[in-house]
Amino acid sequence: MTPSKKAGVGSPRSGAKTSKTKKKNGAGKNASKVILAATDEILAHYPLEEASLIMVLQELNDQLNWLPPKALERVAKKLNVPFGKVQGVATFYRAFSLKPKGKKTVKVCTGTACHVRGASMLVDELKRSLEVEPGEGISEDGNFSLETVNCVGACAMAPVAMIGDHYYASMTPGNIAKMLKKEKPE
Amino acid sequence: MSKTKTSKTVHLTIDGQNVEAPKGAMILDVTPGLGVEIPSLCAHPGLEPFGACRLCVVEIQKPGWDDWYKQLVTSCLFQVEEGLKVWTNSDEVRQNRKVVLDLLMARVPASDVIRDLGNQYGVTKTSYAEVDTEDTCIMCDICVRACHAIGRDAIASMSRGPDKYVDVPDKDACIGCLVCANLCPTNAIPFTANDNGKRRIWGKEFDLVTDERSGEVLGTTEYIEHVRKRAEDKGLLCPEDMKHESARVKRYGYAQKLSHVADVEEPIEEVK
Amino acid sequence: MTSSNGKPFGSVKNLLKRAEKILKERKKLKQEIRVCAGPGCIALGAKDIHKELCKQLDDHKKELEAAGLELNVTLSEKCTGCHGMCEAGPIVTIEPEGTFYTGVKPRDTKKIVEKTLLKDQLVDPLLYQLGHHRGGGKVKHYADIPFYSLQLRVALRKVGVVDPTNFDDFLAEGGFQAFAKAIAEMTPEDVIDQVEKSGLRGRGGAGFSTGRKWRSALRVKEDRVWLICNGDEGDPGAFMDRAIMEGDPYSVLEGMMIGAYALGATDAWIYVRHEYPLAVEHLQMAIDKLTNAGLLGENILGTGMTLNVRISRGGGAFVCGESSALMRSLEGKVGEPRAKYVRSVEKGLHDEPTVLNNVETFTCVPAIIDKGAEWFASMGREKSKGTKAFSLVGKVKHTGLIEVPMGRTLREIIFDIGGGIIDDRPFKAVQTGGPSGGCLPAGKLNLQVDFDTLADAGAMMGSGGMIVMDDHTCMVDVAKYFINFLIGESCGKCVPCREGLYQLYDLLNKITNGEGKPGDLETIETLCHTMEVASLCALGKSAPYPVTSTIKYFREEYEEHINDGVCRAGVCPKLIVYHINDDCNGCEVCRKHCPTNAITGEKKKLHVIDPDLCISCGICKSVCKFDTIDIMSGGKIVSRDVVA
Repeated sequence: MTPSKKAGVGSPRSGAKTSKTKKKNGAGKNASKVILAATDEILAHYPLEEASLIMVLQELNDQLNWLPPKALERVAKKLNVPFGKVQGVATFYRAFSLKPKGKKTVKVCTGTACHVRGASMLVDELKRSLEVEPGEGISEDGNFSLETVNCVGACAMAPVAMIGDHYYASMTPGNIAKMLKKEKPE
Repeated sequence: MSKTKTSKTVHLTIDGQNVEAPKGAMILDVTPGLGVEIPSLCAHPGLEPFGACRLCVVEIQKPGWDDWYKQLVTSCLFQVEEGLKVWTNSDEVRQNRKVVLDLLMARVPASDVIRDLGNQYGVTKTSYAEVDTEDTCIMCDICVRACHAIGRDAIASMSRGPDKYVDVPDKDACIGCLVCANLCPTNAIPFTANDNGKRRIWGKEFDLVTDERSGEVLGTTEYIEHVRKRAEDKGLLCPEDMKHESARVKRYGYAQKLSHVADVEEPIEEVK
Repeated sequence: MTSSNGKPFGSVKNLLKRAEKILKERKKLKQEIRVCAGPGCIALGAKDIHKELCKQLDDHKKELEAAGLELNVTLSEKCTGCHGMCEAGPIVTIEPEGTFYTGVKPRDTKKIVEKTLLKDQLVDPLLYQLGHHRGGGKVKHYADIPFYSLQLRVALRKVGVVDPTNFDDFLAEGGFQAFAKAIAEMTPEDVIDQVEKSGLRGRGGAGFSTGRKWRSALRVKEDRVWLICNGDEGDPGAFMDRAIMEGDPYSVLEGMMIGAYALGATDAWIYVRHEYPLAVEHLQMAIDKLTNAGLLGENILGTGMTLNVRISRGGGAFVCGESSALMRSLEGKVGEPRAKYVRSVEKGLHDEPTVLNNVETFTCVPAIIDKGAEWFASMGREKSKGTKAFSLVGKVKHTGLIEVPMGRTLREIIFDIGGGIIDDRPFKAVQTGGPSGGCLPAGKLNLQVDFDTLADAGAMMGSGGMIVMDDHTCMVDVAKYFINFLIGESCGKCVPCREGLYQLYDLLNKITNGEGKPGDLETIETLCHTMEVASLCALGKSAPYPVTSTIKYFREEYEEHINDGVCRAGVCPKLIVYHINDDCNGCEVCRKHCPTNAITGEKKKLHVIDPDLCISCGICKSVCKFDTIDIMSGGKIVSRDVVA
């Protein structure tokens, strides 16, 4: 029941998806300084070659929760990989997010075991209550993002939702509100 | 096997014709001149075999196989072998090409190239859900690979699966050489070759340099600079392969606009 | 934790001596208590139990000391990998008796220490309860539980037994005996001979002979051979490799070391799936430990052998389970599969000869070297030797991790080991082989599971996921689910896979929405054929299997969806309506929870669902405590239990 993400195959090639977004957020220069410092710190641990690319991006994503364009540019330059390739890799792998995320990410396992036990109903309900699509957007209060994961390997407790390290086992659409209330930051 | 190990050529049959071919060559590469027609969209002699479009499928049989057993392979990626039998136009081959073209017609309904090819295989209307788009890109990656061969890597393919698309995320890397647009089998890259000394492609505008004596357009400033540097670094002036491109692509009739990069003077066929 | 006093072993003899010494010390142990720290048990609070248990043991020790008494028996505790019976977690076992406690809570630890450890009494409420169909009764030891007694563990031999973070523990359980034997007594040729004779076939899915693969790599005379362990377990519903990497990382490494010795490989990678951080942690810990102990790095055990093992975390792409895509990913590139004319044993990673095997395959190797090829080949079937680990999940009673000899029937696995279907509902299908596998119906329950029988039946061994489905599972929906999964995972390189999956999903989606037309099935079959023969890599070639196998065995369900707009399983939202039956007592819970206010009714009076407002989200049914909400499709109630 999970709808396919795509409205049409492929996307307009008008360059709408290029990473060099002009959007500046409030924190401005300071934020980009933090980002670049973090990037350089990570890059220092790896040989500066193409083979390090994925590992560097992973660490970056772990630390910043997403891959800001500034960081990608720096990585491209330092590893001497064309920016296009970096962007290609960053958009190819699931582990990377090219958009900022909410304070917490609700992950719904959509592995087969969870699916046959009703995971898609959980996703639908979360989409409704958070008003976000899986992998896209942040709830209006800025608290939550939604993601689906293929299998978290906790099939015995299907269907499973995860927030942070915490597993919510045997979930039903009915107790999603409770879970979100409990996990609300502050 | 041991016999062929030392010899440099192998013998095979293609649609019943005896063919001698250099070892290591791909089936697709040895078909020109045989009067057989294998359609293909993503292959290009100047680039590594890629195997994306799956149009060039053929049926093969190796010596020693049961008579009835044949296998479908992509001819651009299958090396010739001693004693190999190849069928380039069997029912099974045509059927699978037909499905591939059917799928492509749904993906890029606006493409004349695909529609014409589809018609050749009896698809007049796609059996699948048509995508609502004017875009004609079939994600064959020729532009990406050509841009890489030229040494720019400006074009890259993004994302994956049905979301895959081609883009130039770093506009600075593009030198406006038009190779991508020229090689594109489905004319999917919009450009303006020469508009009062300006060239536009990938949302970027370039100044053109003209030879003072002949008045010939030499290319964009960036392109000339790139060629100069490349010549200095690697002793290469331009990718030679690009030259004999036109003949090949013209033969398949996919695009008439192809020519050596520096020859592009007139806006041949401008897309949007 | 100290193994070699910080000093490298230096020789095979030293390693064996050390192992002997640890074993001697172990003999003094009276009892060992093992807390399962598999993903399931951790989620249910295993870590807290372990913490509490340590505290209890500590308290006890202090009490004795305060009383001036010496501890005359040694007790030890440890966290182990997954015990397999995840649904009964958290699990605590006590050795050597094999006492098996389920559903343990932190407060139970006091009782466990005081009663079981100190007085040899059992804590009755924690014992495993046999299902009613077996006449009930409680079981003291796990060896008496069919779930365990019917299994035969080779790849999982040390999972749930050893502390994955403790090298000594691994040695005490016979670890590195095989590597010592290989490096001291066997030539590389001998090793490959044994692996080939054992009949071991790759456990990652394709089932290619491991011995033959190794031999062909040996023939390629190049300076460098890469060894890669594929831990990118991407099949949803499969977690065998995860359990092994997390629960027994040393065995994986031992297998790789034996492989490296046989192939003369000096560099190895372990490619671990992005979603498995604990596996990375444990493997890295093990690599560090082995490097310090002189078992990895240069001049291993003084033999001159060199092996460096590195870990790479996957980027989260199912297609990277495909070997050529995995190698691209290790090179820092996009994980697109390569054309098949290039063989990876000749030109793999960085265009150098590469041997890639899966986690489970490597883990089997030490056991083969240790016990001999004949022993391994004596298990299983003629063409599929040995055992295979499966994750048994879905609508089965005992979900979890199991390992059985090849050739066990599906019925034995699902009903004897798995205990049958939840609520004893009718069995409908079992899906094997992950997204590339197929669904097998009840008629195939007597199928003896091995690589070839599954393939012949239109399914696949795959990496070993087994998802059991009951009559409340819609087969069209299942097919759609897998296609949707694959759309998200296709690399998008070739047309049949990229566009084919997209169109296949579209067609299936229309069918589940009641918009299917006659002829759709034929269109689907034509498309599936081309995807199967014309796609570039194994992912695309096998992508239509979930559809072709469900059409083959459950065609009437597809036809019902298309012709009658009926979903007999009550799953497809557009084809079902929710209806409140007369048993409703008007508790108002459903009305309050309904997100679209489709439910009306007064307190203590029958409630009604407005079908025009209802979006079939299922919330009302999940919150109703009295089971008064029915699912109807085609005018019939489909949600009610067929079996009383």
